[in-house]
Amino acid sequence: MTAALELRGIRKSFGDFLVLNDADFTVEIGSVHALLGENGAGKSSLMNVAAGLYCPDAGSVNIDGVEIRLSGPRDAKAHRIGMVHQNFKLVKRFTVAENVLLANPRPSTRVGLTEIEALIRRHAETLGFEIDPRRQVSTLSVAEQQRAEIIKVLIAGARFLILDEPSAVLTDHEAERLLTTVREIAQAGAAVVLVTHKLSEVMRFADRVTVMRGGRTLAMLEPKSTSREDLTMLTVGTTIVAPRRSSRPARGSPRISVTGLECARDGRSMLAGTGFFVHSEEIYGIAGVGGNGQGELVEALMGVRLANAGTVAIRHEDGRTIDVTHASPAMRRDLGFAVIPADREALGLAGSLSVAENFAIGQIHDGRYGSWARVNRTKMRDDTATAVDAFDIHGVRSTLQRASLLSGGNAQKLVLAREFSRNPSIVIAHSPTRGLDVRACAAVHERVLAARAAGAAVLLISEDLDEILGLCDRVGVMTRGRIVAEFEAPIDRQMVGRAMVDHA
Amino acid sequence: MLDETVSRSPPSTARSTSGAYRLLQGRFRLEVRQQLPVWQRVGITAGAILFGLVICGLILVTAGVSASNLVEEFIIQILFDPQNLRAVLFQAAPLILVGLGASLAFRARFWNLGIEGQMIWGGIAAAATSIYHIGPDRLRLGLMTAAAILAAMLWVAIPASLKLTYRVNEIISTLLLNYIASYFLFHLLYGPWKDPGDSFPHSSQFATVERLPDIGPHLNIALPLAISLVALAWWLLHVSRAGLHLKFIHANASMAQVLGVPIKTATFMAVLLSGALSGLSGLVIVSGMEGRLTLGFYEGYGFSGILIAFLARNDPISATIVAFLVAMLFIAGQSLQIFYQIPFSMVELIQAIIVMCVAASEFFVRHRLHWHS
Repeated sequence: MTAALELRGIRKSFGDFLVLNDADFTVEIGSVHALLGENGAGKSSLMNVAAGLYCPDAGSVNIDGVEIRLSGPRDAKAHRIGMVHQNFKLVKRFTVAENVLLANPRPSTRVGLTEIEALIRRHAETLGFEIDPRRQVSTLSVAEQQRAEIIKVLIAGARFLILDEPSAVLTDHEAERLLTTVREIAQAGAAVVLVTHKLSEVMRFADRVTVMRGGRTLAMLEPKSTSREDLTMLTVGTTIVAPRRSSRPARGSPRISVTGLECARDGRSMLAGTGFFVHSEEIYGIAGVGGNGQGELVEALMGVRLANAGTVAIRHEDGRTIDVTHASPAMRRDLGFAVIPADREALGLAGSLSVAENFAIGQIHDGRYGSWARVNRTKMRDDTATAVDAFDIHGVRSTLQRASLLSGGNAQKLVLAREFSRNPSIVIAHSPTRGLDVRACAAVHERVLAARAAGAAVLLISEDLDEILGLCDRVGVMTRGRIVAEFEAPIDRQMVGRAMVDHA
Repeated sequence: MLDETVSRSPPSTARSTSGAYRLLQGRFRLEVRQQLPVWQRVGITAGAILFGLVICGLILVTAGVSASNLVEEFIIQILFDPQNLRAVLFQAAPLILVGLGASLAFRARFWNLGIEGQMIWGGIAAAATSIYHIGPDRLRLGLMTAAAILAAMLWVAIPASLKLTYRVNEIISTLLLNYIASYFLFHLLYGPWKDPGDSFPHSSQFATVERLPDIGPHLNIALPLAISLVALAWWLLHVSRAGLHLKFIHANASMAQVLGVPIKTATFMAVLLSGALSGLSGLVIVSGMEGRLTLGFYEGYGFSGILIAFLARNDPISATIVAFLVAMLFIAGQSLQIFYQIPFSMVELIQAIIVMCVAASEFFVRHRLHWHS
């Protein structure tokens, strides 16, 4: 029998909420085993049990048929189980080597550091990673931080390597590279668990796949002998039809035009003459590798970052052209702006406040919820309840419940409900489906398309090429703070990809 | 090729968890609470206060107060002696005001540690109005009040605008401005404003028209004034639109900014109001209690205000209740000082112990312990 890590009959609940219900999972040395499921299916929870972070209420963890007790990550490490979390566990101000040393203590820090640096270099070489052990983590890109995490876990001696949504933060190209490396690691004598909600990764890189839904493991299959449709059915429960873009509507006139926008952050130029325009009834996509000025562009358009040069102008409903370069966020909202920010926790919602408050704050300035002297809370709650139904937001037991209790997809739907109930004329959506499952993605896309149909000019900034290609009428490729190429639908994926790489 | 690298460096088997920890771990299990009913939260806080009081009692007993006298001094004397009750009601008004002031600023995430400095300026402005006989007698008290509020608002406007324009940390600026204010007060009281009558470092006594009038045998006007301001603050925070804005600024300022909440205006106004309440508190002490500008009239109120806001979770009505309790503590502290020669700093020690206990009890608000048999 081959060596294996085996989880049997795992059950785990938080309070009254059962997250894992009799879950079984086995991964064998030498294979890449995908754990597939929607958000909230219990994938990460199950793997947190394997990594010793959660103590299961029932069930057992076995290695090679022998039951082991994990009372913490330290125990898991002793049994050579290592996990790379979705949110990296790195000290930003430490160097790569210092981080690895922190996780793998040596008797002498100074001697240990030299030893670790050598180890990192050796690992990097065998894995084909480029990484400087002396670089400070905060200066590394997300992909580089991930490599540091993987090396950290390997140096700890991991034989069972768990990667939680490793491609979520990577571009197409980076993800491809990483998963190829992961296959090599497995073939060299390790067991790799690939936690993911992306079907294509499972089909291409996994030897086996276990499907999870609602805290249960439903089936273990071989992707080679399974069809995509069957896997989707298992994961989602029903088949979901991705919303399709209708054919191009009659094009309106430019609604918003950005010209020569320049912006710097910490002395570094992030926007260097960005320029584009978006028509009414049009979705304009901005594709590109993250960190090329997308964040700054969105901030400048939201009105929270000052542009050093350039203009943002919009055409108002009455035909006037209004310069909004220096307009405050409140003025922009009055002019019909709606924003779906990429970082939902930081910019989309106030988690400690109620669902109703988070919904109503978007329209409180219009006087819809009473004058300055009195906020009409009854109306706030009624409107919120209507929107919760209309936007199909689940998990709202009361509109007074804290927004942070909503799951990712439902929290995003709440943001959509707030932004789209106002019938905006300009929509700025930044990675609106990041971290969402298939079902929530479809809901977001449907809303974006509906806004277009209602006449809005939609700007969609995303690193997910599938999303851009599926939704946009025109696409601009952003590199180093400029739009370097533009394409009209139908768009050739290869050409967009090439434009992203050529100008980098 | 990778087998070698993967299997290298043997896994560490060292355990750093101490024996005691594991022993405890065997006995009970720690869980994160999802949510907590209000009554349980109140119960936990009350338990923490009680625990703190027991510690304080032990300290007082070691300091020479006999255990039987403790109850006598703190409860019987305070609540059933009309003289002391009057003193508590007197004392409560300025404490309510500083508690409200601190709550308002904290709601805007502005750490106003300069309450005492703002009180000093309130006192100085009120005294100046009295000393220079500004305005007719009829309007004098009103002018003193207005001057106290205005001066305190101007004083707090300095750190507020420094923070909002240059991001200067208000914890440091408000704290340091206290020293400037207090040394200026010393300068006035040892210098130009020294009482010519007795040459002590305090201003000459205010005229009767310059003192807050009594409205009953146990009450002067300060307490009803403070209570009506509590109602106003409650309206501001829980009913008005500005209150909702402040909630968002407190919960997530960057999100509030994106959604068009006027962060700077709302914060600035909240901080100005906080200063105004502190200034008013200064007036209440100077004109209502001391009857003149004295050297240390503000001492202890800054910390008490922060304590009241903290224990009341920045809620005006809870702040009123806490302020009454602190007022009782103040009065008890005074009698301890007189009868047992225990320094007044003991009152601050008691306050500090209770704050620490309540802060520590937050652990039980967030976690639950499960005992195994």
